[in-house]
Amino acid sequence: MANESTRVNAPGLVSGKGWHDQDHVPGIKSELLELNMGPQHPATHGVLRLLLQTDGEIVYKVTPVLGYLHRCAEKIAEGVNYKQWVVYTDRFDYLAPMCCNHAYVTAVEKLMGQSVPERAEHIRVAVSELSRIASHLIALATFGLDMGAWTPLLYCFREREEILNLLERISGGRMLYNYMIPGGVRYDVPNDNWVADVLDFVDLMEHNKLPEYNTLLTYNKIFIERTADVGVIDAKTAVDYGCTGPVLRGSGVDFDCRRDDPYSVYHKFDWQVQLGRGEMGTTGDCWDRYIVRAREIEQSCRIIRQALQQLPEGPYQALALKAIVKAPAGAAYTRVESAKGELGHYIISDGGQTAFRNKVRSPSFCNLQVVEKVGVGQMVSDLVALVGSLDIVLGEIDR
Amino acid sequence: MEQNAIYELLAGALGDGALGYNEHALEPWADVAPAKVVEACRFLRDDPRLGFNQLMCLSALDWDGLDEAGKGKSTAILGYTDDGQPETSDRVGTGDLGVAYHLYSHALRHKFTLRLRVPRDVAAVPTVSGVWTTAAWHEREAWDLMGITFTGHADLRRMLLDDAWVGHPLRKDYVMPGTWNGVPLQGQPYCANPFPVETGGPDQPAGDKPAEG
Repeated sequence: MANESTRVNAPGLVSGKGWHDQDHVPGIKSELLELNMGPQHPATHGVLRLLLQTDGEIVYKVTPVLGYLHRCAEKIAEGVNYKQWVVYTDRFDYLAPMCCNHAYVTAVEKLMGQSVPERAEHIRVAVSELSRIASHLIALATFGLDMGAWTPLLYCFREREEILNLLERISGGRMLYNYMIPGGVRYDVPNDNWVADVLDFVDLMEHNKLPEYNTLLTYNKIFIERTADVGVIDAKTAVDYGCTGPVLRGSGVDFDCRRDDPYSVYHKFDWQVQLGRGEMGTTGDCWDRYIVRAREIEQSCRIIRQALQQLPEGPYQALALKAIVKAPAGAAYTRVESAKGELGHYIISDGGQTAFRNKVRSPSFCNLQVVEKVGVGQMVSDLVALVGSLDIVLGEIDR
Repeated sequence: MEQNAIYELLAGALGDGALGYNEHALEPWADVAPAKVVEACRFLRDDPRLGFNQLMCLSALDWDGLDEAGKGKSTAILGYTDDGQPETSDRVGTGDLGVAYHLYSHALRHKFTLRLRVPRDVAAVPTVSGVWTTAAWHEREAWDLMGITFTGHADLRRMLLDDAWVGHPLRKDYVMPGTWNGVPLQGQPYCANPFPVETGGPDQPAGDKPAEG
């Protein structure tokens, strides 16, 4: 639907009047229609409900209705100790739980002043990036599916399965890992050739699979027509609405926590931040957000290769770690680049073994708000493209 | 820019609206008067030396049970008794509520933290959604879960809970309802581990003891 005429002619956006106010067809009355997109809708990626006001195919107002998955995890955090809450972070972004684990343990370690062995940090980076690839694969696959491309879904899930197998071998869980703890990781790298298998997979991904996706989907003429120039988020809007991650970088803002607010051992590796450049249309359109994710897979492969090739010997947990973790009184905000964007934790400690307050700033929550602005004036089918390109996950929106 | 230099600029612009600066903390923060928060945020965003164009996070806080120095005992969370009934309490929270703003500048690559406190019974803070639009949803969430009213907010409705929900769950003196729309809200107490584990097994790191109480 990247047809220029349909969007420019979206009636009433300037004058405040739409089709329903005009006498296009004498004798036929038209009015705004209220339409529910979701909560059970294949194109909303979870139990999200969008309340639309439409005039024909044009969207006049988008109101996201949230909370179908709300568990008040922040309240639970005040009742369980620091180690026990790691398992709840898995359930935030259940497509990339390692990144959520990483964000939370980083925050607790900052509060505790706990140092982490180098080997643990390398393992963390490797599994986080594997998780990021898995999440981005789902993003590419379901985005293609929203645009009517069935086949890439099967290809992407095939590679994701490999990642789940690798992560199962190191953590014991297929999808929810509970793998990191403050001060290290729960288990060392298994001695069944895991590192070599990951390196093989990364090579395969980078040299064989990504070119395959590009042929199938990225440079497909139909796909480009559906996504280029659609749902354009300019850089100013993206920052103002608190967008982060691939959504922000797709709009051409050169920012990535891994490089600009470094944590863990990312500073040791050689990789590049990927930006949307408007190659197929306007900077910040749906295709740009797609291509940023596709290229980030390649960069994640580079990071994993370096992290595992330089994997140092030594302990995988801090030796001084006590059975019950206690943090001195204080407050700290830390943020980590998860697969969806900037995942922040604001933890206030009163000196005990549970957090006094644990506020989670989830990237999907902030990224979704932008549909209230950018979704207006689009065709309904372009709204599907916009929501698909934001790559939200409802587990961390509703928390 | 250094944190204390940022605070000096802010204090110069705000006058008596800047209430203090805590520089010995792990993460320094500035206290501002609630009535002056919009002015402070606008200054922090628009001054070319500061340029805080991103609101990273807006957190609603409940200081009940904690003294000024951050020491104290967190208030016990009410759960359920052994027969599945919700525990009740007559305790009324007395501490202040608060809001924390975490800011970041993309151009200058520095961060800053603003905090404010409001009394519990008149918890109203001017909205900063006119400064950063992202605050609109953060503030709706803060109203929903902590019950802080943001004056001037265009659309202050419940966000994550049902529109008809009573109370604000993140407050320390919140009492869970026994039922909701006829559905009993029963469960395990938050602190009890329903699956107690033996520690010290071959694959079990030493730290996985069940929580105490």
